[in-house]
Amino acid sequence: MLSEVLPTALNGLVWAMSVFLVASGLTLIFGILHILNFSHGGFVMIGAYLAFTVTNRVPGTASVAAFLGIAVACAVAVGAMGLVVDRVVFRRLKGVDDSYSLVATYALLLLCEGAVKSGWGGNFLSMSPPEGLGGALFVGDLFVPSYALFVIAAGVAVYLALDLWLHRTASGRILKSVALDPWMASLLGINVTAIFTVAVVAGFALAGLAGGLLAPNQSLSPALGGTYIIQAFGVIIVGGIGNVRGAFLAAVLLGLVDAFGTVYVPEFPGIFFFVAVAVIILFRPQGLLSGIR
Amino acid sequence: MPHPPQSRPFGVLTPLAAGLVLAAFATLPFWAGKGLVFLAGIVLVQIVFALSFNLMFGLTGLVSFGQAAFFAAGAYASAWLARSAPGLPFILSIAFGAAVGAALSFLIGLVALRRASGIYFAILTLALGQLIYTVIGKTTALGREDGLIGIARPVLDFGLFRVDLATGDRYYFLLVVAAAIISGALWWVWHGSLGRILAAIRQEPERVRFLGVDVRRHREYAFLISGTMTALAGALMAPWSQIITPMIAHWSYSALPILFCLLGGSARFWGPAVGAIVFAGLEHGTRNMTGMAELVVGGALLLVVLAMPGGILGTLARLSGRPAREGAR
Repeated sequence: MLSEVLPTALNGLVWAMSVFLVASGLTLIFGILHILNFSHGGFVMIGAYLAFTVTNRVPGTASVAAFLGIAVACAVAVGAMGLVVDRVVFRRLKGVDDSYSLVATYALLLLCEGAVKSGWGGNFLSMSPPEGLGGALFVGDLFVPSYALFVIAAGVAVYLALDLWLHRTASGRILKSVALDPWMASLLGINVTAIFTVAVVAGFALAGLAGGLLAPNQSLSPALGGTYIIQAFGVIIVGGIGNVRGAFLAAVLLGLVDAFGTVYVPEFPGIFFFVAVAVIILFRPQGLLSGIR
Repeated sequence: MPHPPQSRPFGVLTPLAAGLVLAAFATLPFWAGKGLVFLAGIVLVQIVFALSFNLMFGLTGLVSFGQAAFFAAGAYASAWLARSAPGLPFILSIAFGAAVGAALSFLIGLVALRRASGIYFAILTLALGQLIYTVIGKTTALGREDGLIGIARPVLDFGLFRVDLATGDRYYFLLVVAAAIISGALWWVWHGSLGRILAAIRQEPERVRFLGVDVRRHREYAFLISGTMTALAGALMAPWSQIITPMIAHWSYSALPILFCLLGGSARFWGPAVGAIVFAGLEHGTRNMTGMAELVVGGALLLVVLAMPGGILGTLARLSGRPAREGAR
């Protein structure tokens, strides 16, 4: 019995933490700017493709340290793209209807797909995990790929870092105050536009980091951005949009529901994620936790 | 009281342009190649798809991200019936597709509109749409991931004579006639009393509620009409493309009518039709360049949303000094 449940739970947690890595930046940007950024998955995908290219082109990047370094470099690169997107797009979306910002950022997703197709082509690409994360270990008689453990650890680490930043540091509190009432914050002498930029750059950097960390064991294709974003949408809506803790909880919940659902009803894999999202929105439309936390 | 001139910011230009476009579609097989005729048939279906969607989106102000589910429901239901019972009249299989779409949109509208609004409604419809996409892709009777192939074009039996729509461009002409009739019906709904209530709901739901109108019920009407007409568009497309795959239920297909509406201008009845035609032109022009289609369409869309908030028609109206009036347009 246990030998059946544990691998499934492990799969669910790996899925949960991968999606949380993607969703964290998305929910951060929504929490501060109230823009649901459809293109977020596209920028995760660009991060993954950048990591793929650097790893393959530069010799001696097979170590775990180099892998982490590349992921951070991807975060910086995609964060810089966030700076441009903030200037060109997001600043013009203040006060417009939700549907407009959803469509404007969908257009950005199309641009990401177009960029990836023209830069890397439409074929599937893949890269392997770095040396040291390619193997597996046995916990009791449970077979655990090291990379799966790494993804779970990375998800938890990003969650803890974000939570600490938002709740325990001065800059995090300023960010939260701007999210709650930008006008009041501006009266208190806070440069609201600069804070918005910080949130966007941080959100995009998280996208780049997620791309760099999740690139191995993944078939990279231009459709990846769309796949990521739909799962991340479900997670942040169920968690309570804009709420990092909620997104973390929702990712774990939805990951486990989907993993166990797929084991017990193998005819319809992947269906339980959507069923769970729909049912939870029906009974708790505001999500598990609401507001920026 | 005379009717205010609601949908005519361009005066007589609108019916004139609509007539010219209809004439261009109707005569296309006489002056264009086969590839273009096929594309035009798809565009006709997409125009119906987008006009139906806009009844809910531009008029009532509901952003649904799962409209492709109804399109696929109509296409799959009619194609499945036509294959299972080949002797059945064409009109019955089309009606069956629309009926399945109606039942589905009734159910989803009932549930989704009761609980969610705004961005939550968008994501809820997206989740339900993806649910239907996944189910279709895993159902053996519907061809799983491969879809249904070799869907026959029907024979119309009028008693005295029979018209085989499989020969020549006959099915294309049927599409032109059907698209014109359905567009006319949607135009009538948009400009009639129901359309005006829906437009009022978009602008001031609270005031409309004070006037004694059941806001949720009217939103449900809009969702139901929109879903049914979308299913009808899907049912019409199946014999034209002759192959349907689960991709027509995918969320990216749900994004299409939103693109058409915003590109053309969702505040005007004909906006989505303009958007669909322009979009097809952009895609057709860039079809041979990898990645170019996404870059051009994404760039154009971004430009429209950021710099031309009323879409193509809204910008034309502004340039000619005829801004749209509030309300149903």
